[in-house]
Amino acid sequence: MEFTSAEVFAQQVLNGLSNGMIIALIALGYTMVYGIIELINWAHGDLFMLGGFLALTILGALGLEEASGPMAVVAVLVILAASAGFCGTLNVLADRIAYRPLRRAPKVSLLVTAIGVSFIFVNLGLFWGGVPMEVFSGGIAAAAPKDFPALVPSRNLLGTDDGVGFTLRDLLVVVVTLPLMLGLWWLVARTRLGKAMRATAQNPTAARLMGIDVDRVIGSTFFLGGALAGFASVVYALYNNTIGFQMGYRAGMDAFTAAVLGGIGSLPGAVLGGLLIGLIRAMSDQYLEARWTNALVFAILILILVFRPSGLLGMKQREKV
Amino acid sequence: MSLLEVRGVTMRFGGLVANEDVSFAVEPGQIYAVIGPNGAGKTTLFNTISGLYQPSAGSIRFAGEDTVEPFSAAVAARALVVGVATSVGLVVALNVEELWRIAIGDNYAYGEAFPWAKAAKDLLAAFPGLGAWWGLGVAVLGFVIGLGASLVLWQRSRRTPDRIARRGIARTFQNIRLFSDLSLIENVLVGMDARMRAGFWSCLLRLPRFRAERESSESDARELLAFVDLGDRAEEVAKNLPYGLQRRLEIARALASWPRLLLLDEPAAGMNPSETNDLMRLIRRVRDRGVTVLLIEHHMKVVMGISDRIMVLQYGKRIAEGSPAEIRSDPTCIEAYLGKEEHG
Amino acid sequence: MRRAPLLIAMLAAALAWPIAEQFLPGSWSVLDAVKSIFIFAILGLALNAVTGFAGILNLGIAAFMAIGAYAFAILTNDLYPFQIGFWPAILLTLPIGALAGFLLGAPTLGLRGDYLAIVTLGFGEIVQDVLKNLDSITLGTQGINPLPAPVVPWWKPGEDGQGGGLGLVDLAEETQGAGPLLSYYLFLAFVVVAWLVFRNLERSRVGRAWMSLRSDELASRSMGIPPVRTKMLAFATAAAFAAFAGGLWASWLSSTGEPANYDFQISILALCIVIVGGMGSIAGVLVGALVMIGVNSIVLVKLFEWLQSKGLGASGSVFVSPNSWKYLLFGLALVLMMRFKPDGLVPASGRGERKPSGGRS
Repeated sequence: MEFTSAEVFAQQVLNGLSNGMIIALIALGYTMVYGIIELINWAHGDLFMLGGFLALTILGALGLEEASGPMAVVAVLVILAASAGFCGTLNVLADRIAYRPLRRAPKVSLLVTAIGVSFIFVNLGLFWGGVPMEVFSGGIAAAAPKDFPALVPSRNLLGTDDGVGFTLRDLLVVVVTLPLMLGLWWLVARTRLGKAMRATAQNPTAARLMGIDVDRVIGSTFFLGGALAGFASVVYALYNNTIGFQMGYRAGMDAFTAAVLGGIGSLPGAVLGGLLIGLIRAMSDQYLEARWTNALVFAILILILVFRPSGLLGMKQREKV
Repeated sequence: MSLLEVRGVTMRFGGLVANEDVSFAVEPGQIYAVIGPNGAGKTTLFNTISGLYQPSAGSIRFAGEDTVEPFSAAVAARALVVGVATSVGLVVALNVEELWRIAIGDNYAYGEAFPWAKAAKDLLAAFPGLGAWWGLGVAVLGFVIGLGASLVLWQRSRRTPDRIARRGIARTFQNIRLFSDLSLIENVLVGMDARMRAGFWSCLLRLPRFRAERESSESDARELLAFVDLGDRAEEVAKNLPYGLQRRLEIARALASWPRLLLLDEPAAGMNPSETNDLMRLIRRVRDRGVTVLLIEHHMKVVMGISDRIMVLQYGKRIAEGSPAEIRSDPTCIEAYLGKEEHG
Repeated sequence: MRRAPLLIAMLAAALAWPIAEQFLPGSWSVLDAVKSIFIFAILGLALNAVTGFAGILNLGIAAFMAIGAYAFAILTNDLYPFQIGFWPAILLTLPIGALAGFLLGAPTLGLRGDYLAIVTLGFGEIVQDVLKNLDSITLGTQGINPLPAPVVPWWKPGEDGQGGGLGLVDLAEETQGAGPLLSYYLFLAFVVVAWLVFRNLERSRVGRAWMSLRSDELASRSMGIPPVRTKMLAFATAAAFAAFAGGLWASWLSSTGEPANYDFQISILALCIVIVGGMGSIAGVLVGALVMIGVNSIVLVKLFEWLQSKGLGASGSVFVSPNSWKYLLFGLALVLMMRFKPDGLVPASGRGERKPSGGRS
């Protein structure tokens, strides 16, 4: 079957946008935490990875690997909720145990701690792959990527098998990510918690003086960011049918680049950045060479940081004396 | 000729005007004070003079020279070199495998001697071919980017605090900023860096120049510490010093570069009366070393006691300038500032 | 307390170890692993210059190591026409590394701390990708081998038969190198040279300028220290010595290994060495290298060999392979040190509770 070049382009745009939505969901977690305590939450990508492992474990434990029809919908809902809750809780724990005691320490100590937490998560993922369950191929070859059950078939919704495909999986991405983004926007813009978050981000000391429980607000931010990573991990796993303990690093770097591209600290920026990175990756895979795509993404990251560190939608910061 | 000449300096942050059309001149050997209520723009003025901010308008001349460095042939030459290097680098980077094949892959056979001259010739012959393609377009693009970037860098770096400091303006900070994990003598030695000449290699290999300079600079640093009465604590770590003494160390560090002008930002803040008296004596002794002093101070006793001239700022504007006696009797100043002064 | 006794004790132990090893059971032989401690000590000293002294978090030091390793390989291996031999090649890694550091540092050193850290990380990834993708030059994921072991002109090879431990093939004898014992002392000598270089820099205006930037960049600039040029010096010096360590690493393994061997994990291992030892403390870095590499390449390896010899844990299980605990080891080292001992095991003077050792050297 031959594609016309216009069809190839349209297909890549679609793929790019789908992947971009997932990247954006992860990027939101980076940008929220950075916005509130100026920490590049290095462990965020690995949190995302652990979410995928939990989802696979639940499917294996409940015997839902082969689920189809309504059962598949139930299974997807279950793992979405479980991964989101798990990742959110884990992120809050990391904050409690590792980051909170360092609130007054230099920023670099906090960043180094986050790298440490990330490594601990990676090791957890590696060991998790060695758990003797059938979904983890009995725990043999722990480090190898794991197949994730194809609960959502890649059936083309545009009717034909030829031509541009918008599959059920693309639909899944939209159905999960879009409401989450809108919900997050509503939460930050309209609710009391959102107001407290914005106040804390602007000036934690002043927020504390105004009676805001800053530690709780920061905890909530970590929970929300982590939960988004959990949702993203399930969508990612269902979309790509594979997970591995090292996927957090790659996905994390894409998402972080997206957050920086959009302007770190800015929620719409993270979404815009995610979509752009998704598109850039798709275009580079198609028209450049796939083996150069990662290097290209990093080159973009470096160029943005050098020439426009505030990103596309971010605000400039002035040095305080 | 005035040592420091500030002409029509305006400093805006977005819509906020911190300084508006401020002009004054400091003569060599003076102690010149800037006073005004909180938020009058005094520290902003200091930061502008010491190169932290670029004035939105106006000029600052030090020792008869403008502190903004003009665009020179040297800058243009540097931009040209960067531009050419960028473009050549891009062509090489984009064709590195091809160039490698032409020069080395095709010429080298395992175990045989390598024909260096032929490889070089092939390489040079290949270059125009690569350049004539889209490589040339990329090269031109790279050139433009390189040129633009170096101009931006130059623009950003032309009036930086380190350059201003090297011209002979040293400063202290309102909230003391010492190198807290370094010892007192190391703090002073950092201040002295601007007039040290031993280079990287000389330091690495401990050449005679490094050794000679180490001797002289350490004795100078000890002399300066003794000058501010800290001579016996040279090896202590700065962060362990009591507050009042930290101010003295900061002054010693600022003096270490042998500045011609010293900016003191509220030196008496947080001091008790006896410390304040010591400080006034110290500032006079600094002036007697031949260093002109420009200070911001709230403490009227200090200002009136040691200043030769005083300028009063309010809402970012200069409202009066003159000798202490003139300021004391100026009705605008009394109303704007002295009337509310509690320290007396 | 001065650092000198500690350093002298470590040097004496390093000098005496090969002799002591003769009297120990064969399973105690760790000569080869100790060489990797030396290589990582040099890498740690390099990273310490930029991260410990100048306060710039560099997360891509492994990239410079990779550049050094590949430069050494291309300059010596007979697939390439250069074949200049061990000494010229290993010395050339220094300027090559410095140049790479300059090229990365020039546009980026003006950035804020955490952004600069990300840039160095990105550079590390790009270098790996480039080395992998330019396979017509670098042989891609194969790695370049064999590579020459150190040679000492007046030393006849093969005079001693002391073999390496840990099952790593020691190719020194095959490639007419200096033999494992001599190369051990040669590597030790390189560590001493690197230590001297960084100690001299630390106690000069160069090191003071770096530390003043770390301590308070704004005050430092206001004292006339040019920030970008000063940071560049630290960055390029670190890159030069990291490349040197990479060259030694490749020579020791007789192969560059694949580009992925110089990944983020290696950069973080180097960071662990600096943080465990004490940021900005030269003696600390040497202790850090001993602790981190000692645990990673000797203690863990021996522990799991012992466990398996006792029949504990099926072979092939992820839990009994020393490699699968590395991330946890590095992660815990970073988290616990930052939380409880941020100045490291051997804090630099002026940090922690120590009294200063003074400005005189």
